[in-house]
Amino acid sequence: MTSKAAAGRAGRRRRRGRTSDVLGICGVVTVGLLLIMAVFAPWLAPYDPSERVGRPFQPPGREHLLGTNDVGQDLLSEMIYGSRVSLVVGIAAAAAALLIGTAVGVLAGYYPRRLGAFLMRGVDVVLILPFLPLLIVLAAYLGRSLLNTTLVIGALIWAGPARIIRSQVLSLRSREYVLAARSMGAPDRWTIFRHVVPRTALLATGSFVRAVAGAILLEASLSFLGLGDPIQKSWGSVLFWAQARGAFLTPAWKWWVLPPGLLIMAASLGFALIAFSLEERINPRL
Amino acid sequence: MKSTVHARKALILAAFALVMAACGGDGAETTTTRAATTTAAQSADTAPAAEEAAPEGGAETTVAASEPEPAPPPAEPVTVRAAITGDEGTLNPYTYISGFPGWNLLMLQYDSLLQLDAAGRPQPWLAESVTVNDELTEYSVKLVEDVRWHDGQFLTADDVAFTVDYFINNTQSRFARDLRGVAEVVITDPFNLTFVLEAPNPGFDLVALADVPIIPRHIWEPVTNPEEHQFESAANIGSGPYKLVDYDEGQSYRFEANWDYFRGTPAVDELVVVVFADDAGALSAIRSGGVDVIFERISPEQITLLDAQDPLDISQGPEFSTQMINFDASRRPFDDVVVRQAIDLAMDREDIVDTVYLGAATPGSPGWVHPGHPSYNPEVLAVYDPNLANSLLDQAGYTDADGDGIREFDGQPMSFEIIANSSDSLRLRIAELTVEMLAEIGIEGRVAAVETATWENAVWPGFDVNNGRNYEIAMWGWSAPVQANTLRVPSLIHSSPGIGSLNLTGFANAQVDSLSEELLVEPDPARRLELLSQLQELIAADLPFVLLAYPDGAYVYDSSVYADWEFIAGQGIVSKLSLLPSSARP
Repeated sequence: MTSKAAAGRAGRRRRRGRTSDVLGICGVVTVGLLLIMAVFAPWLAPYDPSERVGRPFQPPGREHLLGTNDVGQDLLSEMIYGSRVSLVVGIAAAAAALLIGTAVGVLAGYYPRRLGAFLMRGVDVVLILPFLPLLIVLAAYLGRSLLNTTLVIGALIWAGPARIIRSQVLSLRSREYVLAARSMGAPDRWTIFRHVVPRTALLATGSFVRAVAGAILLEASLSFLGLGDPIQKSWGSVLFWAQARGAFLTPAWKWWVLPPGLLIMAASLGFALIAFSLEERINPRL
Repeated sequence: MKSTVHARKALILAAFALVMAACGGDGAETTTTRAATTTAAQSADTAPAAEEAAPEGGAETTVAASEPEPAPPPAEPVTVRAAITGDEGTLNPYTYISGFPGWNLLMLQYDSLLQLDAAGRPQPWLAESVTVNDELTEYSVKLVEDVRWHDGQFLTADDVAFTVDYFINNTQSRFARDLRGVAEVVITDPFNLTFVLEAPNPGFDLVALADVPIIPRHIWEPVTNPEEHQFESAANIGSGPYKLVDYDEGQSYRFEANWDYFRGTPAVDELVVVVFADDAGALSAIRSGGVDVIFERISPEQITLLDAQDPLDISQGPEFSTQMINFDASRRPFDDVVVRQAIDLAMDREDIVDTVYLGAATPGSPGWVHPGHPSYNPEVLAVYDPNLANSLLDQAGYTDADGDGIREFDGQPMSFEIIANSSDSLRLRIAELTVEMLAEIGIEGRVAAVETATWENAVWPGFDVNNGRNYEIAMWGWSAPVQANTLRVPSLIHSSPGIGSLNLTGFANAQVDSLSEELLVEPDPARRLELLSQLQELIAADLPFVLLAYPDGAYVYDSSVYADWEFIAGQGIVSKLSLLPSSARP
């Protein structure tokens, strides 16, 4: 889409492309490491995170590299296992958001008049709703479980992807090959699945990766506020317990608050960098 | 930690032995020491039998020397700066905000007829003596003479009668509830009066006489709408040891000592109460020396940290709140006492206290009553024996037939949802530990952390036991008043909703019922104590619930400024006793 442009602009883009490639590789490495940590958690973690293996409130030491939490569970193991919940919720919520976003975007773009206008007003509503308060109300109302957390996050972050995909579909539906297919009497469903959806896939991937970054942050915020399932080990719930047991006010913040915070940051940043570099490549340019 | 606490305190002030005994780390040991000390100190003035009912305090030395004798302030005035979290209004009986510490600050300016002593027993205060008739329907009060209001007028029986009428007619305060059941107040002479009750009430002294502040008739008579009345100044006219002289809304309060106080000159000349937005602010203030005491409980994990810092010290004692397991005893399999006993035996209470409370709690007594409470039956002991629990379950036929590690009852697995409110993080941790301990005896628990409203609605739908209940196992806890007043024990265990208004587990036992009914109308305090002992044994044997722990209250103070804090069992250190010299304390 972007390949044939004037020489000067191409040079500038190449330079920019190089930075974005480097950043993208950083993102891939970060996310890759975190994924390895999540998948191989049972081998990497020194203890079972749900077992009480030491005195409560132990500072870092040889036996417990990051100390123990308020009931004597190993914090390092909690964080290693916590990557599972955080990443799974992040990816699943983003996938749910993408599913809703693509469906709404394609329908709204393909039928821009009545249905499109109606759907896009819905998107506007979701976009202008005060985000975090709504999330908190929904999470409190639906109750605490991983599934609910995932659904709540997914249900609230689909509007962005929907807009991006709709604008792409709007331009796709007036392309010659689409018009040709339609004039030959192809049913809408066939046209959408054969010609429109595949062309939005790249764009959707970009939105998806960015949504994962957001969803991980949201999961952490919800769990930290105690609106997730506090019994499930995730980075956010480690922070929730740190807050509930006063670690923010004591020296324990260095090994109880900082590491999960850094992990949340790393995961979110990793996905954001990948998304950034992907968008550099795939976003349509004029 | 425990030994260092004691060592340092001994170094600082050997004279405050009583406070020290209350400040140790070990809950059980501490509380028994405290009870013993105070009983010994008491026996000189009070008949030992009069523990529960009307305390007949003979002529106390302070009463005899009640001639108002303005004492000059000492050369170096003591100012104590205290932190609270959240504003408490103008601190009169209709404007204070929270039950704690708002009511406690209110009572620095006002007096009640009786005052709780360190063990939580009502003792003579404004009343020189209280006598009860055998039917428990008439409480005759003899007031201390020559008590003056802050504006110099005398406090008489007329003020007391007015107070009762006023609170009953203007119902927006908790004192209207305290005084419910008062048919009339008969004034015999300016310093003698009788409360006539509609029905026998052995707990009237604790619930009403030790709770209701007496207000001056000449100030309150013109006030027709106390909720909205604009008082001329922030100064509330009471009879208490402190006068509120300055109130800056949302910022601070300044109390000045009442030098003419009838029980003795206050030990602290000035009390400044600073309002903080949250406990994080209050904690950093006391660490940096910005305040000298925090009038809020501190959490267990802060105790060691703060105590390690000089000159901060901790005052710790029983608060009478509870952490317990409720199960629906009206449904299978909890209707079988063997299952309830097995759960009780599987609970390692010491582990819960050490792990979750870091020692700042007292292990639960299966008989409900706190070991630090005057009516505790010391023969009721908690036993931790998962092996016995396992064999009990085996013998009763609850076996694991399909070999999955979980026993079965009536063909179903013994796998239950344990519902807990997520707002209480310590309770959630106890729930997690409970799951571990139940697994030892082949019972599976799954913690469901829910909103407080959802949890209440499952355990106590509509706050009315007539609505039944909708849970299998629940982590539950009662606030301090339920346990502090042992006459509320019947409400927890009686099978009829009329008496058993707090019986959330659907528990029914005919013997418990008849003993409970007897307790509620028994005039003799000694016999009541005996009935309570029997009830504790019955509760421990038949287990309407499983008591896990009684969290201790812990307060932090700067011992270099003022160290003579008195811990009242069930109420903590925020009271006039803490600020009066030890000779004036009951």
